Amino acid sequence: MACSLGHDGKCSPALSRIRVIRFDSEGRNVPTVCAQCTRPECLSACTEGAIRRDVATGAVLIDEDLCNGCRACISACSHSQIGFHPEKGLAFKCDLCGGDPLCARFCPTGALTFVYLDQHLMARRRALLRAPGEAV
Amino acid sequence: MDLTSGSSKVEYIDISHRKMWLGGRGFNSELLYREVGPFVDPLGPENRLIFGVGPLTGTFAPASSRTTITAKSPLGTPEGFGDSNMGGHFGPEMKFAGYDQIVIQGRSEKPVYLSVLDDLVEIRDASHLWGRRISETDAMVKEDLSDQEVHVAAIGPAGENLVRYGCIINDVSRAAARSGMGAVMGSKNLKAVAVRGTGAVEIESPQEFFEICAETRGRLKRDAVAQLLHDQGSLLLTMPANYEHGWFCWRNFQRGNHPQAHLLSGERHRDHFLAHREGCFACPISCGRFSRIKEGRYAGETTGGPEYETLAALGPRVGHLDMNRVIANGKLVNELGMDSCSCGGAIAWAMECWEKGLIGEEDTGGLAVEWGDGDLIESLIRMIAARQGFGDLLAEGSFRAARILGRGEEYSISVKGHDMSQDDPRGLGFAFGIGFATGRRGGDHLQALPCLELTGSFYPGLVEKILGTSAAEERLSIVKKPEMERYQEDLKAVGDSLTQCAFTHTWSFAVQLEDMVRLLKSATGVDYTPEELLKVGGRIVHLERAYWNRVLVGKNEDKNPRRFTEEPMPDGPNQGVVFPERELIPRYYQVRGWEEKTGFPLPKVLDEYGLAGVAEELKPYRKRYLEMISKDHGPSKSKADAEVG
Repeated sequence: MACSLGHDGKCSPALSRIRVIRFDSEGRNVPTVCAQCTRPECLSACTEGAIRRDVATGAVLIDEDLCNGCRACISACSHSQIGFHPEKGLAFKCDLCGGDPLCARFCPTGALTFVYLDQHLMARRRALLRAPGEAV
Repeated sequence: MDLTSGSSKVEYIDISHRKMWLGGRGFNSELLYREVGPFVDPLGPENRLIFGVGPLTGTFAPASSRTTITAKSPLGTPEGFGDSNMGGHFGPEMKFAGYDQIVIQGRSEKPVYLSVLDDLVEIRDASHLWGRRISETDAMVKEDLSDQEVHVAAIGPAGENLVRYGCIINDVSRAAARSGMGAVMGSKNLKAVAVRGTGAVEIESPQEFFEICAETRGRLKRDAVAQLLHDQGSLLLTMPANYEHGWFCWRNFQRGNHPQAHLLSGERHRDHFLAHREGCFACPISCGRFSRIKEGRYAGETTGGPEYETLAALGPRVGHLDMNRVIANGKLVNELGMDSCSCGGAIAWAMECWEKGLIGEEDTGGLAVEWGDGDLIESLIRMIAARQGFGDLLAEGSFRAARILGRGEEYSISVKGHDMSQDDPRGLGFAFGIGFATGRRGGDHLQALPCLELTGSFYPGLVEKILGTSAAEERLSIVKKPEMERYQEDLKAVGDSLTQCAFTHTWSFAVQLEDMVRLLKSATGVDYTPEELLKVGGRIVHLERAYWNRVLVGKNEDKNPRRFTEEPMPDGPNQGVVFPERELIPRYYQVRGWEEKTGFPLPKVLDEYGLAGVAEELKPYRKRYLEMISKDHGPSKSKADAEVG
């Protein structure tokens, strides 16, 4: 809810850029969010030039002034991580909140964190060496 | 939604009604009072089954996940008020679909389920679902609707078979357990309600709301009680309940402790059985457990739960201490769709009657109902849900079962015919005891959850600020206990109406009344003072009380089980304690402004709460109640007998 409240000023999973897939019987919850791909399919698909990469954060952003709501990016994204705003009639996606994602900031369990990739990888590798077979 | 005609309509709730009743429990109780009179059969088509959520449900406010389900309960004696509250994701989804309440009336000819997708409401055939367990139903409904993201509130076989404490469960393991709401749903031939919402909850002042949410969520993260709840779930209670406070409900409350209680401790569960923690919608605590059974017949199976009430009802209450089996039996009770409190209570009653020689094999169909037998408990659970053999009797709840049998009423640990939750006021605390005697759904810890006497001392100065003296922190002191009960009853009614989980504001006190005021103002724009908000809570409590009064339940029925008031605790840290009911209940009446003779709220008090019409309506009922109690001194015996016998 931090996501939709922060971006749209209202609380709605349908407007949230990050969504949790639940498997109730297994007790498994998996968050899914844009991977900010190196070669974004959404960016290639956009005919309006509305999608660009932010140099500072690496996030792939949609410019609402240029987006014409054609939904080509929604079809193109192989991770299905682009939403369609029912009131604005425009595409929306995760923008990493300009570099301090609200979802990670307010994740109560620490399941979501926002860190440098190398920090994450090295911490994992270290943990793997400590306890073989146990992922972190 | 009228299931008899199959038609539905949408009604809008105006702002004055919202201000008066907030939402959730408040909306539901008001509607029940207005539409379901004292002579309505709880299992007939006239009863209403009401799902309600509040102004904070589905928002970023901490733990704003709760749903209240309200109906006239089939469990009480006589039948009276009933409601039940569940976490999970059903309530928020209802809100995203655009509804504050879903009201179901009538009765379908055939088994059906209700599908709500935003404004698309549909009654669908459920004949293939009838007889299915909760998890099967959940999976089949999702399959049926080709949507894995719907949230399903369903009944199990127990609700279908009108087990009086059948419950409603959403997201497979989140139960609205108490008061027999599942039996009401079963009586309507309604197997499930599936909701899916794609809308949004609009926020009046997003920035301000965001900041207050961030602040209160942060406070909850740092809160010692909330951290314990995260770490061990409500199972954290086992150790203090047994070793420090002595309210471990051993063998139907015969004792308050057992030397091996640590086998059921929260630490042991966490270290050996916890697969992972589960949070409801928007919850920063995650008290929910997801367990893996380690040993025995069900080794390797997983399930949501247990929380303390289930653990204690299927553990010490029935004299059982194997964690593996408690988890397995808890899973079974959930899957069949029953309230574990009442189910354990009914089984414990049978076991004590067996121990005391009041029932024999001729009553039980040849079963030896000995304490603590895990296989037997499992068989009884299955028999109750199917209403087979001896299970048919136990499915009535211990109090009705004793009345039907004509034996063993003294061992039915229940209030107003509702089985007691696993809490003994001789050790837990005296404010709790007041709630058990007077509460809206019989012996139940959630009337007020007056944890000021349990965890109040974690918050320096809090009890003194609210009650004027820190002496009330002591569990077994009588100082200011009626005032404490009143305050927390009103507070909890507000929380249940907003809706916000009680663990944020009445067990932990990280979110306080002032925070609720701020959350509500920034979310909706409606500005209350803390006193005004608390008064809404009091209004709700009084209307629920009036509901009971209207079925001629009052002072004579405000009684804890005899065991709590007359049998001193035999041993343990609280040896010799009885609950001082004769002293505390009259004082509670005074604090509440209820008539000492009848336990009916005084008209001028109802008037203060804006319930003058209710006061007027209660007058003839008060007169009849006075006649009744002057005729027979027993608790509404003649009426109850006529109903049961």
